[in-house]
Amino acid sequence: METIWLYQFRLIVIGDSTVGKSCLIRRFTEGRFAQVSDPTVGVDFFSRLVEIEPGKRIKLQIWDTAGQERFRSITRAYYRNSVGGLLLFDITNRRSFQNVHNWLEEARSHVQPHSIVFLLVGHKCDLEAQRQVTQHEAEKLAGAYGMRYVETSARDAINVEKAFVDLTREIFELVRSGDIQIQDGWEGVKSGFVPNMVHSSEEVTKGSRQCFC
Amino acid sequence: MSIPSSSPERESSAGVQLECPSSPPGLDADPPSTGSPVLSPDSSSHDAVLSAPAASPADSENLSPDELELLAKLEEQNRLLEADSKSMRSMSGSRRNSGSSLVSSSSASSNLSHLEEDTWILWGRIVNEWEEWRRKKDKLLKELIRKGIPHHFRAIVWQLLGNATDMPVKNQYSELLKMSSPCEKLIRRDIARTYPEHEFFKGQDSLGQEVLFNVMKAYSLVDREVGYCQGSAFIVGLLLMQMPEEEAFCVFVRLMQEYRLRELFKPSMAELGLCIYQFEYLLQEQLPELNIHFRSQSFHTSMYASSWFLTLFLTFLPLPVATRIFDIFMYEGLEIIFRVGLAILQYNQTDLIQLDMEGMSQHFQKVIPHQFDSCPDKLILRAYQVKYNPKRMKKLEKEYTTIKNKEMEEQIEIKRLRTENRLLKQRIETLEKESAALADRLIQGQVTRAQEAEENYVIKRELAVVRQQCNTASESLEKAQETIRELQQQTNRTAHPKYTEQFVNNLQTQLEQSRLREAELLGALKEMQDKVLDLEKRSSCLPDENNMAALQEEVKQMKLRELETLRSFREMQDTVTDLNQRWQHHMSRSTGGGGGHWKESPKKNAMNELQDKLMTVRLREAQAQAELREVKLKALQLDSQNQIHSKLIGRHEQERSALQDRLQMLANQNKALQAQLNEMKRKQAESDCKSKEEVMAVRLREADSMAVMAELRQKIAELEIQKEEGLIKGQLNHSDSRQYISQLRDQIAELKNE
Repeated sequence: METIWLYQFRLIVIGDSTVGKSCLIRRFTEGRFAQVSDPTVGVDFFSRLVEIEPGKRIKLQIWDTAGQERFRSITRAYYRNSVGGLLLFDITNRRSFQNVHNWLEEARSHVQPHSIVFLLVGHKCDLEAQRQVTQHEAEKLAGAYGMRYVETSARDAINVEKAFVDLTREIFELVRSGDIQIQDGWEGVKSGFVPNMVHSSEEVTKGSRQCFC
Repeated sequence: MSIPSSSPERESSAGVQLECPSSPPGLDADPPSTGSPVLSPDSSSHDAVLSAPAASPADSENLSPDELELLAKLEEQNRLLEADSKSMRSMSGSRRNSGSSLVSSSSASSNLSHLEEDTWILWGRIVNEWEEWRRKKDKLLKELIRKGIPHHFRAIVWQLLGNATDMPVKNQYSELLKMSSPCEKLIRRDIARTYPEHEFFKGQDSLGQEVLFNVMKAYSLVDREVGYCQGSAFIVGLLLMQMPEEEAFCVFVRLMQEYRLRELFKPSMAELGLCIYQFEYLLQEQLPELNIHFRSQSFHTSMYASSWFLTLFLTFLPLPVATRIFDIFMYEGLEIIFRVGLAILQYNQTDLIQLDMEGMSQHFQKVIPHQFDSCPDKLILRAYQVKYNPKRMKKLEKEYTTIKNKEMEEQIEIKRLRTENRLLKQRIETLEKESAALADRLIQGQVTRAQEAEENYVIKRELAVVRQQCNTASESLEKAQETIRELQQQTNRTAHPKYTEQFVNNLQTQLEQSRLREAELLGALKEMQDKVLDLEKRSSCLPDENNMAALQEEVKQMKLRELETLRSFREMQDTVTDLNQRWQHHMSRSTGGGGGHWKESPKKNAMNELQDKLMTVRLREAQAQAELREVKLKALQLDSQNQIHSKLIGRHEQERSALQDRLQMLANQNKALQAQLNEMKRKQAESDCKSKEEVMAVRLREADSMAVMAELRQKIAELEIQKEEGLIKGQLNHSDSRQYISQLRDQIAELKNE
């Protein structure tokens, strides 16, 4: 039995090794937190439905990537078909914050001619005592890159839903305004089967097509 | 038990040709299966061909009866398994087969206890006679390994299989532990996540984690190129579950170096790409429908198969199953991974085809790992039903390298093109800027040219106007010149001859006269100037400037009068001469012009007489005038003299008054001086008196002082007298005392005498 959803977005989660990508995703998709879990070898795949507004459901396909640098040759293939991304760093690990720039470059160079909507996420915000990156400087960096910033904790379930839902909303607005378009052969955005509702963009295109008869 | 009678064309292993008699009890009910444990010619819908190196039957002859027996047992087991799998398939589609297969496997398991004992003994022998088994009985060995190495033998057998006994690197191990590796931090973080559920590795300070860390660190130091790669820890962990760390380290080193694992874990991970490529080929060849389905769903091979190759199924399948695969891997290498992978896909084909990408991912994550929990042998059996051609694999490897090289070249080319593009863009920018600048300049030039054209036009118009003016002016000039010429001509025409001659003469005489007058006047002027200079010299002696000015005025006036007189005189003379001339002229006319004028009428003669009379009258008049003028002149002269004298008198009077003033002034001065003198005298008298008084006072004082002095002297005298008196008194006293003393002495003497 298929759930009815408006769109399907493919998201990719990237960041240094051990920042907590798998944990965050598991918390979001399975609602559980595992203190220890296997390191991601290659890529893992998860999915979940979110309701960004009453009656508007979006299906999220989430790719969990391996953080170690040598796995990038594998993970590169997944940037192209993603519409959104969570760029994670660990607030207790300064190095992971400094590498955010590299991750962004990596993603941007491999996603052309498309572009990915990113959300900067400072993870493990429950470990306040060991914080090495201030909220302010992270916000500044996010602003410089034109993306939003959220601090999350998978362990204490802080802002986990918010991170994903905010990003989904952002992408949804861009799709609705036409800045991001559904394209054949691109997996980033797919439209779902909705019996009674007509998408605003599709309505326009259908209307214009009919005019040519 | 039926001996497997293999068809001759199939590959034969040791067990095939044997006519092994003994059969385990209770294994009758199964349908005969032919061939070696891994050959099943008509059992499955797949035509499985085992591709293994062809071996001559001659190798297999060195088996002891025990061994042969054991082999038969094993074969039997295999048949059982196959039957199970067949029956399972006929039941079509239940994945969770643990329930059904238990029934059939239980029958086999009852035999296992016996089998186990035997296998243990066998393995013990194998270990002891390793070299021999390795060289000569490798077929059987292979079979036995496929059956699974007994747990307690794994440690030693793995080492033997990997040829990891007596490795020189073992001695370095303790040294390596003391060193520090750049990957340490990375390793530390991952250690806690490796086999987190396993007893040996649970807990942060567990022994398992400690040794795992050691081995990973040691390896990262030995092989700096690979360093540490996530996923390799699982393999080491497995090793550590069987053997101590030094041995595990050695085996791991061997694995990395001899079994292509190193290539897989290198930073470039090129080998992984190759394995995926090869696996995809197999998939396409043997499971084409599934392959199409995967592609349609964009379900890439790397999504599920990466961890298979990197961790050798250790993260994908439960440990018991994965360990079995690992046993085979130790003997046969990566081939088994391909086989198992394909076997899994083949087993799940029907299910997967029905699912979309998401469903398939879920299936892979949740369902597949536990499919062979109960019976790993089935998986292995299926694995060996997969077609695998090593030569083909080699070819694929070559293909893959060429493709990769091409890709790299393309990448390099793309990079080069990108930089070129960038440079060209920059050049375009600069050129555009230049052209914009040039366009600006051009426009400016045109603007100035337009302005100049306008100015030019204006100038031309002005020039035209000026030219016109010039023309009109020249025309008017010509006209004027013409009129002048006409007028001149007119004047020339209307001139009378007589008058002209007379006129000319008159003009000449007048000119001479005026010149004379001028010369005379100049001479007079000079004289006057000389006189003035003289007078000025004289008057310069006098200090009075007023007089000088007055004198000069007088002189000027005088001069003027004189000039007047002279002028009048000259006028008179002129008139006289004029008259004379006229007279002469008349005379000449009347006499000289007789010849030409004889024809004159008598009226003219009368007129001449009248003219003569007029002349005489005029002469007299002139004379009278001359006399009058003389008289006037004299009067003037007297007048001027008079004036001069009066002026002189005035001057003298002025002098006198001046002198009187001076006199008075001097008198005043004198008086003042006198007064001063009187005062001085008075003062002096006063001072004289004062001085006298002072002298008197001084004398008085002197007298006083003298008196005082006299008194003082008197006193001194008195005092001296007193002093003398005193002295005398003293002397007297002294003498008195002396006398007294002498008296006393006398008395004493007297007394003495008495």
